[in-house]
Amino acid sequence: MLTPAVLFFILFAYVPMAGIVLAFKQFNYGGGIFGSPWNGLDNFRFFFESGNAWTVTRNTALYNIAFIIVNNVLQIAAAILLFEAVGKWFRKLSQTVMFLPYFISWVVVGAIAYNLFNYDVGTLNSILAAIGLERIDIYNTPSYWPFILVLVSAWKALGYGSVMYLAAITGIDTEMYEAAEIDGANVFQRIIHITIPNLYPTIIILVLLAVGNIFRGDFGMFYNMVGNNGLLFSSTDVIDTFVFRSLTTSNEIGLSAAAGFFQSVLGFATILLANYAVRKYDKDHALF
Amino acid sequence: MQNKKTLMLLFALMLVLTTVISACGSNNTASHNNGASNAPAEGTTEPTTNGGNSEELVIKMLLLGGKPIDYDTVFGELNKKLKEKINATVQAEFLDWSDWNQKYPLKFAASEDFDIAYTANWAFYNDQALKGGFLELTDELLQKNMPLTWKAMPTVAWEQSKVNGKQYMVPNNNPEVIDKAVLIREDLRKKYNLDPVNSPETFANYVKTIAANEKGINAYSAKPADGWKWHELDQILLEQKNEWNLVDYNMPLAYKLDDASGKVFNIYDTPEFKELLKYYKDLVDNHAWSKNIVNNKNDVWQDMKAGKTASYVHNLGTLSSNLAELRREKPEVELAIADLTPDKKKIAAISTQNGFAIHATSKKAERALMVIDLLQNDKEIHDLFMYGIAGTHYEAVGDDKFNATASTANFMGFSNWGANSPLNRKDASYPAEGDAIEAAWKQKVYNFDLETFVFNDTKVKNEVANVGNVMIRYAIPLEYGLIKDIDKGQADLIKQLKAAGIDKLQTELQSQIDAFLASK
Amino acid sequence: MSAVMTTEKSDNAPRGAGKKQMDRLLLTVLGYVFISLLAIVCIIPFLLIISSSLTEESTIVENGFQLLPTAFSVDAYALLFKYPAQMLKAYGVTIAVTALGTLAGLFLTAMTAYVLQRKDFKWRNKFSFFFFFTTLFSGGLVPWYLMIVNYLDLKDKLIVLILPMLLNVFYIIVMKSFMSSIPEAITESAKIDGAGDFRIFIQLMLPLSKPALATIGLFIALGYWNDWYHALLFISSENLMPLQYYLYKMLGNMDGMRKAMVSSGAVVTMNIPTESLKMAMTIVATGPILLAYPFIQRYFVQGLTIGAVKG
Repeated sequence: MLTPAVLFFILFAYVPMAGIVLAFKQFNYGGGIFGSPWNGLDNFRFFFESGNAWTVTRNTALYNIAFIIVNNVLQIAAAILLFEAVGKWFRKLSQTVMFLPYFISWVVVGAIAYNLFNYDVGTLNSILAAIGLERIDIYNTPSYWPFILVLVSAWKALGYGSVMYLAAITGIDTEMYEAAEIDGANVFQRIIHITIPNLYPTIIILVLLAVGNIFRGDFGMFYNMVGNNGLLFSSTDVIDTFVFRSLTTSNEIGLSAAAGFFQSVLGFATILLANYAVRKYDKDHALF
Repeated sequence: MQNKKTLMLLFALMLVLTTVISACGSNNTASHNNGASNAPAEGTTEPTTNGGNSEELVIKMLLLGGKPIDYDTVFGELNKKLKEKINATVQAEFLDWSDWNQKYPLKFAASEDFDIAYTANWAFYNDQALKGGFLELTDELLQKNMPLTWKAMPTVAWEQSKVNGKQYMVPNNNPEVIDKAVLIREDLRKKYNLDPVNSPETFANYVKTIAANEKGINAYSAKPADGWKWHELDQILLEQKNEWNLVDYNMPLAYKLDDASGKVFNIYDTPEFKELLKYYKDLVDNHAWSKNIVNNKNDVWQDMKAGKTASYVHNLGTLSSNLAELRREKPEVELAIADLTPDKKKIAAISTQNGFAIHATSKKAERALMVIDLLQNDKEIHDLFMYGIAGTHYEAVGDDKFNATASTANFMGFSNWGANSPLNRKDASYPAEGDAIEAAWKQKVYNFDLETFVFNDTKVKNEVANVGNVMIRYAIPLEYGLIKDIDKGQADLIKQLKAAGIDKLQTELQSQIDAFLASK
Repeated sequence: MSAVMTTEKSDNAPRGAGKKQMDRLLLTVLGYVFISLLAIVCIIPFLLIISSSLTEESTIVENGFQLLPTAFSVDAYALLFKYPAQMLKAYGVTIAVTALGTLAGLFLTAMTAYVLQRKDFKWRNKFSFFFFFTTLFSGGLVPWYLMIVNYLDLKDKLIVLILPMLLNVFYIIVMKSFMSSIPEAITESAKIDGAGDFRIFIQLMLPLSKPALATIGLFIALGYWNDWYHALLFISSENLMPLQYYLYKMLGNMDGMRKAMVSSGAVVTMNIPTESLKMAMTIVATGPILLAYPFIQRYFVQGLTIGAVKG
């Protein structure tokens, strides 16, 4: 029964994986992937000699950690409240509404953000000016951006993620709830002691899956929100945007393959550690 | 034990599968000769007499841009004529502007079936040639199959498009001057009784006056968000004004036009740049442009039409058509084209701005070259390819002009500029001012030895990438006045450039230039 | 069961009733407030988009986006629907691809997940790793492109919009996690009765996994619906263009061309796309699936497993 899936991944993932060698080659069309000459670690030089390697790597990881924590907490809270606290129609309506941001492309989100935050005519600053406060120059102040990006990312993923948790909650055995009620637990205790623990498998799985990608930045978000504003890079540049900008001058496949390989190796190491830690805690909850 | 065995079997199977499929792949690609050393013998599968071609061939073209709506009708006509003349027809595949960046190299990597490809220096012509994507065009090939082009194309154009001494593209034949100019609100200038804007000083005056007196309008606007590594005024105020030539817009290295030794220097490390920073700071202190200009995502011309901006920079052709457009739509708003460096030397556009190349794996190279020959030099075919069907997509005005019609938009927006040639028609509504400036510029075209020099960056790709990054990150905010202390900003910029390897870049460039000059 | 419950409740009623109602009330208030806040934050940008899609372009350029259209205009939609035949074709392609892809993909995903969560499957961890590894390392765009275009020869065929997205490791693993919460007692009893793996899967697991299927099914469907990337790379025939790609082309062509103009020195005379157009596109692309979403919600029903065990 596993055959179709195995075949699928061999074809679409494992065979193309051979292309990783491009990270170590100087690609030309005549040689193709396998005939092009090797050039050792040359393709990695642009990244590591740029002086920015540490900053962007750190940014990528930190942002992803923040995203994992904030997004999941918010989504779990929303899912629980949707399940427990609100009426049917309200739940259906608000679920649909919360899903809307998912459909808005990052290009449009970036445009809306610019409309809201820009210094001269942005909504935020217009309001501030109207009530007599000083305008804030958001687009030229790097320190605001970690907060902005985390919030925007949470906003966009809210509907999508809470659906996942909601489905998990509906699968929880209601007998446990009844038993708790009999024991005199109030609603909050029930949530803390039954609902959330029963969500652990789902939470762990989702977090583990996210950890594998901890060194990959969401290019769409960073590129469309921050753009090419150099002043903000110290706090917003991630590996993917950095590499993208470096490659606008030439479309060297080797360079982007090298960066991708770097991200893969780091992610692999991280997930091995994380998975191992989870296995020690409970074998069944680990990814593999 | 058994588990391990089966697992091993699975892995072995996978390995075998992978190797087999990859081997098939490498056979396919290895059979294509390394383009750089391709002998002209490839592609001689059909008789070689001009016009006497016995086999009808379909030539496939790879073009950039969206497929025009009336592609079928126009190309239908085009093919009729092509068939008559050289027994060939063309079929075009279009790579949309949105992602040609990704698709274009993929087409080559996958050795897809096409014969002619649009190419240009900004479309990584150099890179593609060195990677073996294009067929080498020897003099014999060109002379035999492109007699018209061979006669019409100036030698400089051929020289400029050579890579490592070999020819890989048929450049467009369009020696224009691509200096930039500024579009200003003439009515506002008159309102405040300002001098005509024809120099950096008068421009600064114009900008500061508008900023001080007209609320709700940006005196100047630009769109750095597009990723350009220079302030949009730099080409005028740095390159044109000082008569420098930037070797490559992705690096801050230039030489002085009349310096016979071709010594290159770091633009950011010059007294002229320091002065320019002061000039920009002065403008910024007077609120010439928005604080958030670096994130501006709005189209600047649209802003200008809507009255939100009072000036912007672009090439002469675009500004002229902007002028014509607003004259039609809002005649009460007066615009003018301001040339800030009217007396400086002008450089003709490098021929590799547009061109066509032959795919290295094409088997119909000779016929393809004939097609390009006609596209550039045969009046009927040129008109069809560039403008569409006379009467429908344009109205012919004499031999060299045209008027737009309602259907003009149905056949435009793609890269037919590879066929630019003296046969190009000019828009009849092109404003006279534009013509005047153009004529004046043509008088001042300066020819110099390094005109045909093109930089080969294979050995310094990493430095180029890092320098480019530094420019976006440190130079752009500095130039747009977002850094308070400009001296420190400039020092920082230079420091970062050194860390990124600008010295190595400069040495490599200089050695190539020296070798080039020595060989002359 | 309900009979038992009522007895219990009435027993407890006098003692803890007031307290229970208090914290119930607190939770309800908290719930409504929190969710409402989230909902507002989510809907306002969408309202901006709707309003901007119905506003005159020049007003947007002057005043930016506003919540209510100050200068009403349907120009953006008119432009989008200028070629209705193409638009309808695009919708058709997208609907077909989404329907087929979701059915096939969901089935395969569930089947794979089922096998992986079987605790008696000795190699389940190794296969999980096999699948998961593909999300860590990748050969990049070029080899994948070569595989699809040169080896599988899928270029410009409808199936290329379906096949590459059929299986997704993330969904397989999540589905596996959902399925493993279904008590084994159920499948064991079926096995004892002599049912084969496949039958157990179809007749037992699938019906019991409704919330999981609904969730993953939704995600797969959304993935197909929003996809423009595969069309961008592999489709050039106009009859096979899905909706998102069709819209993306319209928008991107102008934008990219303008950038090219700066470098090539060519003259820009085309109409640049409007902000209102971008907004109208979002609405047009989102509308249908949003309308379908409420129908899916009814599958988020709880407690299907309980009856099965008891019964």
